[in-house]
Amino acid sequence: MVQRLLAVIILISAAMRVNAQLGVMKLVGNGSSKYDLGFGGFIKSGYPVSEGSDVTLEIGANIFFLNDGYGAADGTIMCPLKAGYRYTLNGTGEGFYVEPQVGFNLVGVTSLHDANGNQINLNYHGVVFALGTGYLFTAWHAPFDLNFRYETVIDHGGSNNFISLGISRFISFGKRNAGD
Amino acid sequence: MKLYFITAVIPILLSSCLKQSIPDAMLASQNSGGQGGSTATLSYKVNGNAVNISVSNADSQDPNYYTLGCTKSSGYILDGLSSSGEITFTFYTDSLTIGNYIYTGNYGDMYFIRYNGQDEYVHAASDSMSFNITTYKNGLISGNFSGQLTPLISAGNPNNTYGAPGSTSITNGSFQNVPVFY
Repeated sequence: MVQRLLAVIILISAAMRVNAQLGVMKLVGNGSSKYDLGFGGFIKSGYPVSEGSDVTLEIGANIFFLNDGYGAADGTIMCPLKAGYRYTLNGTGEGFYVEPQVGFNLVGVTSLHDANGNQINLNYHGVVFALGTGYLFTAWHAPFDLNFRYETVIDHGGSNNFISLGISRFISFGKRNAGD
Repeated sequence: MKLYFITAVIPILLSSCLKQSIPDAMLASQNSGGQGGSTATLSYKVNGNAVNISVSNADSQDPNYYTLGCTKSSGYILDGLSSSGEITFTFYTDSLTIGNYIYTGNYGDMYFIRYNGQDEYVHAASDSMSFNITTYKNGLISGNFSGQLTPLISAGNPNNTYGAPGSTSITNGSFQNVPVFY
């Protein structure tokens, strides 16, 4: 089922504006103090619905390493699939924007060791909510997106929260209008 | 519409800061056994002779010394102590989930049951011990099991002496609300 979903996303992405992003991120909130800085990436497609706004579809992967003395063996991986609404404040499709998102965490795994040194793998999914802001601009004739986001994954009565700072590059297969 | 969307997301994001992390919530649920105070049971028949184990407040047992429970240790080891002896089964998995776990004679000799002083092993190629976990919720596992074992006559070095292959039948095996300790 996940493979079919990914195939659909790729096909939809090919018909829209797509951007690929790399970013650094940090888990925040309860239980986050032992985590180092994480990193992640996503592929996002945008379908213009007006001059200054897009409906977006994004799939990503976020990796956080746990600093508990077991090296890279322990940490958290989450792969959220989200839909969002990106609105540029000046209504032109460039400049500052706000983007709320909602989705589902396709894959969530946390590996850690208990007090006896036994490894524990916890698998979960969860609902995803995010709110981001950023700046859309063109540099060296290429469209870029510098953004900051707060995201939370909620499951089993708890939540994994993180902030993210990233930069992405647009790969456009379509045009918002003749002026793009 | 965009204002409503943003307005709806912000309270959810703010409230998420107050929650414990998902791993902490899952571990807390598993260690507390969910509601707490559950009764764990395990029963089976050895060649038609019934063995029954029942433990009240099973999730409150000492994780290092219990009558009926399952412990994470290079896999997951289920142990049950009764007036007639003991049963033990290792789930060879890194992450315990619902499903079937089977140990056959192809894997080598393995001890599973002591009944009235008689140790029972998977020994012959046709022997097996099979556990089905049907539910795993709130840190408690339930399911059923059965097996065909060979009695140990005498322990020896380098080889044990065994009785008639597959002469011990384990039937009507059932376990309910057995706590998993981490």
